[in-house]
Amino acid sequence: MTCKEFIDFLMAYLDGELEAETARVFEEHMKLCPPCVDYLESYKVTVALGRKACADEDAEVPPEVPEGLVKAILAARRKES
Amino acid sequence: MSSRPDAPDETALVEALKRGDDDAWVSVIRDLGGRLLAVARRFVRGDDEAEDVVQEAFLQAYKNIDRFEGGSRLSTWMHRIVVNAALMRIRKKSRTKEVSIEDLLPRYKDDGHRVEVGEAWTERGEDVAMREELRRTVRDAIDRLPENYRNVLLLRDIEQLDTAETAEILDISVNATKTRLHRARLALRELLDPHMQGDAA
Repeated sequence: MTCKEFIDFLMAYLDGELEAETARVFEEHMKLCPPCVDYLESYKVTVALGRKACADEDAEVPPEVPEGLVKAILAARRKES
Repeated sequence: MSSRPDAPDETALVEALKRGDDDAWVSVIRDLGGRLLAVARRFVRGDDEAEDVVQEAFLQAYKNIDRFEGGSRLSTWMHRIVVNAALMRIRKKSRTKEVSIEDLLPRYKDDGHRVEVGEAWTERGEDVAMREELRRTVRDAIDRLPENYRNVLLLRDIEQLDTAETAEILDISVNATKTRLHRARLALRELLDPHMQGDAA
């Protein structure tokens, strides 16, 4: 398995979707190639960072909805009905 | 926004919504509006546009509340409607010139080795520490992804829809969804790489 193939298979491996033999070769590559181990780690961090960046954003959202928006929704609703 | 076993019973509220009760609608708008705005902001640009998306979503909800079965939480149902409304809006206007995903993916030599093997990232494991600066960097990097890839990444990794739901909402195959998600993550990793190596972070 080349590094390119390793990276192509990364997501399937992490999702447990690789066939047993491919998974075995994948893990074999990990033993021989430290940069690919680092890459796998950074891939997982990438996913976690995206998730966390947005989760933190959500936590900061003020609980209040702008009053103008509440009014606009009600007005638009009346127009529709 | 998934359902929780300890969630309060929404039957009475949903009944009131179906009757067109103004107070019930206002309480739902106030209750869910803030989080729905945050979701909309991830897909569209600017607060005004995000508010338009949320308004459109509530109109859709109002028209379709009779079809709400109560099999899911109201918040989950509204979340999907906002995501759909945001995607509709994006489709209407094509974004300014985008980079191609190919330019953001790792490059390989003929023998399959990566051309640039940088240093290992200082952050390891999934329990990453998030500093304000890093958060901005991540948000900007997500924004730089080509739209087709960005949308899949937002739906799968951020909004936590499953593959089948994402495929359905984007009207693409399950396999295309998986391929795009993987490439979006690889591209995001490349964009973050300079910020994450060694002491650079």
